[in-house]
Amino acid sequence: MTATTPEGLQADVLVVGGGMAGAIAALAARAAGARVVVARRSPGATALSSGAISVAPHRPAHPDEPLFARRGPLDAARAVAATSPDHPYARLGLDALDDALAFAARELGGLLAPALERPRVLATAFGSAVSAALCQRSMEAGDLLAVRGPLAVAGLAGHLAFDAGLVAAGLARFAARGGPRAHAVAVDLPAVVAPAAKPYDLARALEAPGAAEELGEALRGVLPGGAGAALLPPVLGLDPAARVPERVAAAAGLPVAETLSDVPSVPGLRLQRALDDRLREAGVVIVTAAVAAGWAAPGEAVDAGGTPVRASAWVLATGRFVGGGVARRGTLFEPALRLPVQAAEGREAGVHLAARPAASLTVRDRRAPQPLLSAGLRVDAGLRPLDERGRQVHACLFAAGAVIGGHEQATDGTGLGVAILTGWLAGRAAAAAAR
Amino acid sequence: MPSLRALAYLGWRAVVAHPLKRAFRQPGTGLERFSAAYVSEGLVPTRTEDRAVGEAASACIACGLCEAGCDLARASPEVRALGLHAAFRLYSRSATELPLARDALAACAACAGCDALCPTGVPISRVVAHLHAAAGRAPRARAPGGRPAPQVVPA
Amino acid sequence: MAYDVVVIGGGVNGTGVARDCAMRGLRVLLLEKTDFGVGASGNSSGMIHGGIRYMLTDRKVTALACRDSGYIQRIAPHLLFRIPFLMPFVSRGEEATLRERAEWYGAEVYVGTYDLFQPLKRGKPSARLSPDELYALEPGLRPGLRGAVTLDEWGIDAFRLCVLNALDARARGADVRTWTEAREILREGGRVRGVRWRDALTGEEGEALAPVVFNAGGAWSPALARRSGVPVPMRPGKGVHLTLDRRLSNYGVICAAVDGRQIFVMPHESESIVGTTDDDYYGDPDDLEATNDEVEYLLEGAASLVPDVRRARITRAWCGLRTTIYAYGPNEDALSREHQLHDGAAHGAAGLLSIVGGKLASYRAQSEEATDRILELLGRPPVPCRTHEEPLPGGDEVPDPEALAREWPVAAPVAARLVYRHGSRAREVLRLVKEDPRLGLVLCRDEAILAAEVVFCVRHELVRRLQDLRRRCRVGLGACAGVDCARIAAQLAGRELGWDADRIRAELGDLLDQGWRERRAIADGAQLAQEELLRGATGLFEVPG
Repeated sequence: MTATTPEGLQADVLVVGGGMAGAIAALAARAAGARVVVARRSPGATALSSGAISVAPHRPAHPDEPLFARRGPLDAARAVAATSPDHPYARLGLDALDDALAFAARELGGLLAPALERPRVLATAFGSAVSAALCQRSMEAGDLLAVRGPLAVAGLAGHLAFDAGLVAAGLARFAARGGPRAHAVAVDLPAVVAPAAKPYDLARALEAPGAAEELGEALRGVLPGGAGAALLPPVLGLDPAARVPERVAAAAGLPVAETLSDVPSVPGLRLQRALDDRLREAGVVIVTAAVAAGWAAPGEAVDAGGTPVRASAWVLATGRFVGGGVARRGTLFEPALRLPVQAAEGREAGVHLAARPAASLTVRDRRAPQPLLSAGLRVDAGLRPLDERGRQVHACLFAAGAVIGGHEQATDGTGLGVAILTGWLAGRAAAAAAR
Repeated sequence: MPSLRALAYLGWRAVVAHPLKRAFRQPGTGLERFSAAYVSEGLVPTRTEDRAVGEAASACIACGLCEAGCDLARASPEVRALGLHAAFRLYSRSATELPLARDALAACAACAGCDALCPTGVPISRVVAHLHAAAGRAPRARAPGGRPAPQVVPA
Repeated sequence: MAYDVVVIGGGVNGTGVARDCAMRGLRVLLLEKTDFGVGASGNSSGMIHGGIRYMLTDRKVTALACRDSGYIQRIAPHLLFRIPFLMPFVSRGEEATLRERAEWYGAEVYVGTYDLFQPLKRGKPSARLSPDELYALEPGLRPGLRGAVTLDEWGIDAFRLCVLNALDARARGADVRTWTEAREILREGGRVRGVRWRDALTGEEGEALAPVVFNAGGAWSPALARRSGVPVPMRPGKGVHLTLDRRLSNYGVICAAVDGRQIFVMPHESESIVGTTDDDYYGDPDDLEATNDEVEYLLEGAASLVPDVRRARITRAWCGLRTTIYAYGPNEDALSREHQLHDGAAHGAAGLLSIVGGKLASYRAQSEEATDRILELLGRPPVPCRTHEEPLPGGDEVPDPEALAREWPVAAPVAARLVYRHGSRAREVLRLVKEDPRLGLVLCRDEAILAAEVVFCVRHELVRRLQDLRRRCRVGLGACAGVDCARIAAQLAGRELGWDADRIRAELGDLLDQGWRERRAIADGAQLAQEELLRGATGLFEVPG
């Protein structure tokens, strides 16, 4: 186990950052027998994610392509790697992807639904549908390919953020492609859903004894005949142990699911909390503090909120701009270790571009890939960060997740997939390096 | 093009009228007159520590994660509807409107449950405590935002 | 449809003239190619100043400008806020030279003379401050300043000023069409006879007949005039402003840019703005973005006196096109800010009146003058102007936010923003919350936008596209860039306007595009993290099927 000595914490691997990448790295290192400390300041981008785990987006070959023709995560990731040479999928290769995903699914078994051969096709709170390699149990019944019979999209009166009519109308576009027919229904539940309530409030309210059952019964009263499943806003409890979706489903008498979320995200926070719980269960020490590494290197002690932590190998999983792993004040930089940050412009990529003005690192089309937003560390094939000249910074320093550049969740939809792949690889590599 | 007439008038002001005004018609120092004119409307000077807190609050990206640790249970429903991060975005943005948030800020129970929740590192409870103190200190403006006092226009 | 006058352009001149003409009993059609105030008016510094610079030429002009500023306060008191300016004294050397001291005294006399006019606009008298007094008021100024004089002016939400004029025009019988472009001015026998228009959203086309066409198309005028064969000479200048996320100070500071031009950092509503550049613009008026060098020019100039600007969070860089009167030779700053009315008679278009130049602060007087001319062209007897007497919608009273918060289900800080945007009509917004408590949802933590406010604007303020809500109630304009509000505002607007799912998605994309254009040159620090969060949250909705 991790040793607590008078000089602070002694470990084999220090993971900085506790989102998806950091947690998977810590768990992978732990599984390889290492003593692991996770230092993290706060929840970050994982807690703000949709709550499902997309590895790569599906780009339909033609607009009428049936939903069941969607390929699995590995194929979709290969398609990304083929078109984006700077993407971690291209630079690292995808041989480990299946193992990494299986590892994540196992570690988060309490929260996630079992993986399928095909991707899950999940509805968003705006009536679009995305492919996900893994989803939470609370979303499983809403998989558009798994719904048997019409899908009842249920709005909660008082919860303006979820427009059931709009979601149903959006999903109706998929009916011709193998999705279910969708109907909007409204549930009025004044005792549970306060007017103008926010998502976290609703999620907490539904966890209370009796509340989920009340929702289920009200739902049963408005369901159209023969409905195969009900789709609810993404507010089905913050704590998986409260079993909100199951309780609603039992009372309503049909499978119940929530949509994916935008910000603030109840499913995202639930995912983050499941990671935290799993880390503790696995015997990982969590220090809630920012790490001031300065110019130290793996093997030396660093300060984490007043506690010195000494570890033979480090994994930097500090995220990007939201998480603070990469920042920009006039120029792009990496705050923890002052590692060089790479940006790309057009076909050119490199550290020297990090000081370019913001407008030079962005393009006018908002939906296009933005070099500024995909800036991050350069790593070698072993996930070791590189310096300005392309040499590895330290043999025992690794990076995982969004702090690595070359990808952007918003445009390529690979955020959590990259986090899991790189976290798994970096965690194992760090554990090996520490020995 | 400046006109000769206008320049001559300004010259007269400079040589005769303005010195007379300074000598006889201006009570108090410049600062006193300035403060008398503006502080009553809430247009108070910015203190260095206020600005530092403003800079810290500027890091808020309205992600709402802080609210996972704070349901503002002691606040009115209207304040709860605003949420905790309104403190960094709405209340703290304008010193002239801060006094209006006095009740909202008073709802903080100072449990510090929010502090480890901000991804961008806003020192949440410190900012809230500072704003609360500043809101209590600020003079209550009769016309917030430095707007003209309410008036009714004859039809 | 036959009108007395067709007004082209929904800026402050167009809406002001439409209101005045409607008040004087004319049948009016107002055509705006996109939405109110999108050109020079809404993207100006948003100031209702009293024409202090005219004291050098004719102080009667200053008196008129101050009186008009007072009129605008009378008709829209809720939209205005006071801005005290500090004009610091900068000395080049260790000791102030005699010449510098003389200049400072000159400045003191000059603003002291302006004080004589201040009562006309309810302004406060100026003061001369010693260095210690200056730093007591603004400790963030760079060290070594030798004192300052102060100056009192008013700021305004210029988008809402345009909207309120248009709404009032409509309430008085004018037809108002946004997103409708005047394609061509129709002529017959040396006279205009109307305008051919096209609705950009429905594709509908039509002709509106009128003996007088008032062209207030701003930077878009030359293109229209070219299509119609009537020259409208003007010299468009691009002006860029930066918005900071909060009131850095309650006081504005006048600074000098690297080339000696005057620029400023000033509080504006709950934000601060830094402005402005002034450069000739020959490009496409529909394709305007702030560039890296304009942003850096402003920051350098502002930071020369207010170093904290470098650490502040910049949320937007936005620009507009001034339409100054044409002159070949002078540099941009030396161009007159006066306005001119061009009569098209000389070019075979009698009945066409075009306005070039002018100032936001004088829009009402400019509109009055133009309406007088329009009556003349129509051969109507003069009718007295009343635009300075009758309040704009919501301007009859400024409710106290705390009183509203006691009376209605709303928090006081929200009530304050609501009153600022809607004046006495804030009560009508709050009535919606009382009827449907769900509409008490706060969509935006930056600007305190209630769901009810979005619904109110969509129902009553000529909203045809989602992006119109940027200008009605600041949807997507705050520092959060729409993380909070954009999707829900799109849903609410869609429900009110009967949009289908695809239209809602398209409108949301368009709203986000507008914001991105204003942010990509300033993406830095916390605003860059904000951008990442926004893109992550909205990217989910924009995936291909």
